[in-house]
Amino acid sequence: MRLVFLGLVLAAVSCSPSFAAETTPLIPSFADETASAGIDSVYAGEWQYMVGGGVATFDCNGDGFPDMLLAGGASKAKFYRNISTKGGALKFKAETSGLELDAVTGAYPIDIDSDGVTDLVLLRVGENVVMRGLGGCRFERANELWSFDGGDGWSTAMAATFEHGASWPTIAIGNYINRKEEIAPWGTCTDNWLHRPDSKAEAKFAAPLPLKPSFCALSMLFTDWNKSGTPSLRVSNDREYYEGGQEQLWHIDANQPPALYTEKEGWRPLRIWGMGIASYDLNADGYPDYFLTSMADNKLQTLAAPPTGGQPAQPVFKDVAFAKGVTAHRPFTGTDLRPSTGWHAQFADVNNDGLADLFIAKGNVAKMPDFATKDPNNLLLQTGSGTFEEVADKAGVASTATSRGAALVDFNLDGLLDLVVVNRWETAQLWRNTTAHAGHWVEVKLQQPGANRDAIGAWLEVKRGTTFMRREITVGGGHASGQSGWWHFGLGDAPQAEIRALWPDGTSTDWQKADANGFYVLERGKPLQAWAAK
Amino acid sequence: MGAMRSLIATVVVVTAAWLGGLAAAAAQPDAAQSQKVLSNWYTLMLALVRHTPTYSPPVASRSFAYVGVTVFEIVASGSGDLTSLAGQLHGLKAVPQREAGKTYDDAMALEAALAFAAENFFGNTGPTGQRAMAALKAKLSADVMAGLSPDIASRSQAYGQAVAAHILAWSRSDGGAVITNLGFPTQYQLIAGPAHWVPTNLIALQQTPLLPDWGKNRTFVLPTNTTCSLPPPPAYSEDKTSEFYKQALEIVEMKRNLTPDQRTIARVWADDAMLSTTPPGHWISIVLQIFERDKTSLETRAEILARLGVGLADAFIGCWQTKYQYDLVRPISYIRRVFDPAWDPALSTPPFPEYPSGHSTQSGVAATVLTKLLGDHFAFEDATYLKEGLKPRAYASFWAAADEAAVSRLYGGIHFRAAIERGLDQGRCIGAFVNALRTRR
Repeated sequence: MRLVFLGLVLAAVSCSPSFAAETTPLIPSFADETASAGIDSVYAGEWQYMVGGGVATFDCNGDGFPDMLLAGGASKAKFYRNISTKGGALKFKAETSGLELDAVTGAYPIDIDSDGVTDLVLLRVGENVVMRGLGGCRFERANELWSFDGGDGWSTAMAATFEHGASWPTIAIGNYINRKEEIAPWGTCTDNWLHRPDSKAEAKFAAPLPLKPSFCALSMLFTDWNKSGTPSLRVSNDREYYEGGQEQLWHIDANQPPALYTEKEGWRPLRIWGMGIASYDLNADGYPDYFLTSMADNKLQTLAAPPTGGQPAQPVFKDVAFAKGVTAHRPFTGTDLRPSTGWHAQFADVNNDGLADLFIAKGNVAKMPDFATKDPNNLLLQTGSGTFEEVADKAGVASTATSRGAALVDFNLDGLLDLVVVNRWETAQLWRNTTAHAGHWVEVKLQQPGANRDAIGAWLEVKRGTTFMRREITVGGGHASGQSGWWHFGLGDAPQAEIRALWPDGTSTDWQKADANGFYVLERGKPLQAWAAK
Repeated sequence: MGAMRSLIATVVVVTAAWLGGLAAAAAQPDAAQSQKVLSNWYTLMLALVRHTPTYSPPVASRSFAYVGVTVFEIVASGSGDLTSLAGQLHGLKAVPQREAGKTYDDAMALEAALAFAAENFFGNTGPTGQRAMAALKAKLSADVMAGLSPDIASRSQAYGQAVAAHILAWSRSDGGAVITNLGFPTQYQLIAGPAHWVPTNLIALQQTPLLPDWGKNRTFVLPTNTTCSLPPPPAYSEDKTSEFYKQALEIVEMKRNLTPDQRTIARVWADDAMLSTTPPGHWISIVLQIFERDKTSLETRAEILARLGVGLADAFIGCWQTKYQYDLVRPISYIRRVFDPAWDPALSTPPFPEYPSGHSTQSGVAATVLTKLLGDHFAFEDATYLKEGLKPRAYASFWAAADEAAVSRLYGGIHFRAAIERGLDQGRCIGAFVNALRTRR
């Protein structure tokens, strides 16, 4: 019996692709389906659109397939309804949704009013606009309805959370420099704003609170970096424009004014051309790690000393990008080897081996001579040892267009993450993940009754065998690009997974079994439900 | 004072006319417009240094040198007091002169020249810098043009551009014109042995040292790159009785007992590349502040910017030659190896060899040059980093500032004392050659 069991295991290994235990990961394949899918959107415009260029993916008609909005900069944003079929070629249809505003730099989906229909926050050069989802992929402006002050800035970052006890979200908006200043724009970073719920009125935002000092944010993320149960606000700032600035971490405690983490608390100054934040618990220590994009260098931060004895964590991070092979500081292919410019970053498992991989969108700001003009995007596969290997060229996604925002998302619900990238002055690109022999997977959606339907701030945990995978449910980060909908986990060759949620209020569900290669909805207080496309 | 300056200038113009038009005349005797042009462009250039990765300290010093010479040559050609640096600076041939008997406007010539020079010596800047340069050029051109006859304006503009183009052509053969990969070689063989430099951070680009061949560039004034070479640093040793060990121990103890004022001094003179105006930009900033405070004459401004500029540039050439001659290990590497593997300095360690201290060398040059020009006990206040939250600091003399800049590297934990003291010596040596230049008739 024992010999038979061993034989089965060996057979399984020999038939399956490379998975986590092996050091050489399975290289995924992507097919460019931009044109055939009907995507034709350019992030256009000159100086005021040198940053931004995001994409939002969200399901706005309840069919489970992610639809998307591509920022157009000086041109109008374009909405595309997903008309792909399960496992088929990617197909989109440009439609009028109400989201087609001009001057859009980025977009983040979030169910603001918790009505079960996704809303969007549109970042713009000029007035930001919150768009209320009406269902059927129709949206309407809701600034007045929700008392949202859109301002008149150059908005470049967004993050959202539901503070403890709140039935209405708190939205942080990152603003860039004073766009009206021509000769001396440096040092003119305008205030970031914190839109908290109005304590005196239901379903309204209070007047925005300036987050002083502000240092030209290009990415923000509410994240529970210390597992305290209360997310803090991480802000990645562009050192090109601030004076006396640095990366920031804010205490955002309910009913308290925002307060910066200080050096006395352990926070250490870091000055980078911060452009994007990606987070994932890569080392399974229970705490999120953070990838920060920049120029000529990128950072991968992990807690220097994760607490082991129940004491509070110190906000001291060490940079392990060099050790992990993710500095991605110059083009890895081509002849233009000047330093790179990184924008959107996202951790996701593109080959379903159970290990989060890393995508980085790259592109020159605009003919900066010090930096590569032909700057290929990166796709870094995590290996079993925790280091990463570059495969963007082999996988077919090493575009040298001037990229900005992006999203790795399963557009055709086949369990493989596809890729959309927004490019400055060039058409956005869409790739279908066509990897053969990829590992197993599950995709999960969290839901809560009442406020915060999508459980922002929850942790979704998936166990395959003895390996835990954890993902914090966030709205924010990346570069001007947000996602809502299915949360994807690769399972390697595991035929089954166990799933549980740690809800934003700290309570948790029991582990629930799920067969691999399926979609599941985990609603608070209910058993895990399998979901299938109609 | 302004009236007096106008009067003097008027007298000069009248005298020139009386002399039968042998010299070119200035259309606007009041130099305020020229000073405004100068001040605005230099202020923008300092911002471009801060915001453009190309302009590491050596590269910034080179740019300031050529821009300073450009300014000087334009002002000198219209001045009865100043004389050209052509023939005195290595490779600088006769600079275009004003046409005799014709009237020129200094401000317009300077505006045209500085716009050209900024585009070329700070042209690696990004879209915001390009936009700022275009906006400043448009604004200053319009301001200067107002009330000026078209023929004087166009003649002055052409003249300014001709001088700037001449200086640019001269600059191209000095060895420092092309910077790739932000100055970090893609291939570089580290020298083996504990005494030698090793990378001091985990930034991938900085695993090779900055501009290892910069010391081979053509000098401006120094007879050769090695004219002001230094003796070797204290011999490398891990023996507790050795001078090398003692100097490292001094840094460790300094860090442990750093006073708030010493910490401030380290920050004030940190001048990190890509986060500040850099060390040469800091000294340029100091003289710009003095110009505004003292209403310094245009001729003296031009003279100071040229002398300081070429002095700072030669400081970096001479210093870099010595740095790569000895290739000495940085304190952080030695201290982590010998004292404490977790030790960190108060400042970020720059990515190149230790000996001598570049800030010390170039501050030594600055003090030598400025003391000669403005005096021994010339008190001033420096508010360069006010916007960064650092309060202005007062100095009784240029040497007081230079000494503080030098010792700041000890407080910051990035240099041994020998590199600091001998860096100042090297600065004195280089500065003496600059002081030997003839800029006055």
